[in-house]
Amino acid sequence: MTLTDPTTENPTLHDRLLAGDRIFAETGNYAGIDTLELREDDPIKYESLHVKLRSIVVNARDMARRISASPGVREVGESVVALFTPEGDAIALSTGIMVHVHTASRFIKWMIQNDYEESPGIRHGDIFANNDAFIGTVQAPDVIDVTPIFHEGELIGWVAAVCHELEVGGITPGGDVALAQERYTEGLFVCAEKVGENDELRRDYLIRLERNLRMPIYWVLDEKAKVAACLEVRDQVLDLVDQVGVDYYKQATKEFIEEGRRGQLSRMRQLTVPGRYRGHTFFGHVTEGKNGVLPLGNKNWLYAIPMEMEVSAEGKLSIDFDGTNSWGYHSMNCTPAGMDGGMFVTLTQHMNYDGKVNDGAWLATELNLPSGTWTNPERETVATATSWALLLPAYGVFQRMLSRGFLARGFKEEVFVGQVNSPMIEMGGESQYGGQFGIALFECAAAGSGALGIKDGLDTSYVGWNPESDMGNMEVWEQDMPMVYLGRSISPNSGGFGRYRGGCGFESLWLVNNSSQLIAATSEHSSRVFDNAGMCGGYPAPTVQLHHSTHEAGIPERAAERKPLPHSLGSDPHESDLAKFADGTTHVEEGPYLATPLRHGDLFAHSYNGGGGYGDPLERDPGAVARDVANGYVTADVAAAVTGVVIEGTEVDEEATRSRREGIVRSRRENSVPVSEWIKQQSQRIRRKDLAPEVAEMYRDSMSLSRRFAAEFREFWQLPDDFSFEARPAR
Amino acid sequence: MTSYDTHAIGDLIDGTLPWPATKQMMSGYKDDTRFETYLEVLQQRVAWPEQILLPIGEHLYIVKGAEGRVVKCDCGHEFGDYRENWKLQARIRVRDDQESIEEIYPGRYACDASWMELREFLCPGCLTLLEVEAAPPGFPVVFDFLPDIEAFYQDWLGRPVP
Repeated sequence: MTLTDPTTENPTLHDRLLAGDRIFAETGNYAGIDTLELREDDPIKYESLHVKLRSIVVNARDMARRISASPGVREVGESVVALFTPEGDAIALSTGIMVHVHTASRFIKWMIQNDYEESPGIRHGDIFANNDAFIGTVQAPDVIDVTPIFHEGELIGWVAAVCHELEVGGITPGGDVALAQERYTEGLFVCAEKVGENDELRRDYLIRLERNLRMPIYWVLDEKAKVAACLEVRDQVLDLVDQVGVDYYKQATKEFIEEGRRGQLSRMRQLTVPGRYRGHTFFGHVTEGKNGVLPLGNKNWLYAIPMEMEVSAEGKLSIDFDGTNSWGYHSMNCTPAGMDGGMFVTLTQHMNYDGKVNDGAWLATELNLPSGTWTNPERETVATATSWALLLPAYGVFQRMLSRGFLARGFKEEVFVGQVNSPMIEMGGESQYGGQFGIALFECAAAGSGALGIKDGLDTSYVGWNPESDMGNMEVWEQDMPMVYLGRSISPNSGGFGRYRGGCGFESLWLVNNSSQLIAATSEHSSRVFDNAGMCGGYPAPTVQLHHSTHEAGIPERAAERKPLPHSLGSDPHESDLAKFADGTTHVEEGPYLATPLRHGDLFAHSYNGGGGYGDPLERDPGAVARDVANGYVTADVAAAVTGVVIEGTEVDEEATRSRREGIVRSRRENSVPVSEWIKQQSQRIRRKDLAPEVAEMYRDSMSLSRRFAAEFREFWQLPDDFSFEARPAR
Repeated sequence: MTSYDTHAIGDLIDGTLPWPATKQMMSGYKDDTRFETYLEVLQQRVAWPEQILLPIGEHLYIVKGAEGRVVKCDCGHEFGDYRENWKLQARIRVRDDQESIEEIYPGRYACDASWMELREFLCPGCLTLLEVEAAPPGFPVVFDFLPDIEAFYQDWLGRPVP
């Protein structure tokens, strides 16, 4: 049976939203549905409707990609389309950047909660847009459009379409505004605004876009693509409603969500083990003293992201971020909407890939986002422009914790070491055509993945936020930026070592072309620490930390003289090919941006991360190492040092491999101590507070935010109850 | 109903199941008998008699020991009560200087030893590398997994804990 709210005769949307929340709280079931009546009565009709709705949103997204001229959407697929209930709960979603399905849900609910029904009104043909993360999105470039679906005057749902914009007009160019430190530097905000009526975008909205963006064509054309997708879905859904009847449609879509909720719970029980899982990762942000940094951002941050996952006997999944650090004056803060989105897209990949993918899965989960931390700043002026920087590593931890459960149950084919950050280049300045430009170079959407429990990770073809990862064609990117490729290559040794290797990342090398000023920043770029991990004896991947550029590289002259040219950073980890094969001075710098603009004739190289490894590297098949060396995924010297496999030419030297592996085991014995002994030694170091200032500050901050963290820290190192770290002096 | 025999699950564990069969396993409905088949294969492969209750990592199992449930490596080394972090009973090699970090991550691939160290947890019995933690100096060792064995067996599998 279905419960209805008895307190109102003609409920507003706001009433219905409140009643829905109350009914869920009281019954534990979506819309109070305790039996899936339509599914039981006629499963074929029920499933047919779901398949058709899913097909509609998938096709609409594909159509929108053909309309958009933005390479982010057309080449890389940075878009998603989804269908929602009147209360804003997702029913069906397309492939693509599924992270935004639940963020769009928050956007719709926000409009309802703020009485948009009264003002500005919700009518057939209206178009609403939002890119405010505190209302409902992840970051400013994720611009969501929604349109209502009315049937004979009654609102029966919403369609949302999302595109990731490549330029948002912030303090630094691009979409993920790497140097934003407060909301006021993040670029153009559209805050749950009615931007169109009668199925048309308002002219004054388009004028605002044209006058406030460095490269308005991307956002404007993506708007047209999104509106086309929304209208296509709306009209096709209305045709379907005419076929099945509006009452059937309304009831069936509620049952889809309740079925999705039950599916999530049963999938947890099927694939994992109840209990407590823990993991952590870290992220370094280095800007102290760097040229160009704004005063509030003139410091270094080291972020701890400890996570605990609880799986209850019922199968409910709860994730707790207790112990993580404060928000800061940088662009990496996140909102609860973004945190929801990260969990949602991870669940769609691991738990809900073959059933009812909708908001039901989200209803079967719980997040604890401690107030005042980067996960939940509770201060709507903070910047969230590069929230992926911390969000992606966090949900990589989530993937490893889930995988521990899969491993325990024997579903080794599902064990996955997880996603990694893939630092994106944001650039702008003078284009090769003479005007101003700005773009996010989205070739980053093809990092290496973590290893699986049964095989190596994917090389240059996975990112967590978009399971349809694609780096795009070089020739297309060259049309949109004043740089031409000298090479795009797999980065050797970029995957974490293990019995199964993490997938490798890749690197690009460009020659700046016909521009007097090219500003480059990289978002999601950890410094000094790896922001991923290995699993079951596998090593983390080596996070990309450094920028390489060469001023006045003399490439045309070297080419004319038939001198060797650089095409990548090269396989020598101590000296890059830029330094070896270019004229001029090569600069290597850390931090999320280049402090000096580039110009015509300069070189710039950038790398994307690989994934973590799985299992003891000494168990790696020597033949696999030989293939890796032959194909450039690892170098022979590092392979020998870590896996013990000795390659001569293209063949495994079996005798030398046996000897090298025995030597590594001996080295393990000679260089290791019992953990209890190490704890005693380290405890003295902690008492002396003999730590880098950023490390000590990270602990001080975590201990001040979390009593549990503080208690566990003191207990682990056997410290007195009043032990604490002093705050760093204010600058 | 989907099910796989011990040969298929053994090959899956070894990473030798042919890719088409693995892909089918990934994309198809999951088999309800997986856990039992998995335990059967793992139990056949160890040289000791204690009953495996739950695998918790490569080479590591919670087993029914003479004095309660303990964590055991497949070489036979025991780490003690499963409710305590097995890592605290392991051997550890810590790479906390640039030289030792660069053995794994040479040159530009290295992390900064003052910000992050690598902790290699080794089995005292066979010196297998069981887990690697990458953490800033001073971060407490993580207790990866504390299963609720009672709820798992009784509520999820519908049978008493052995």
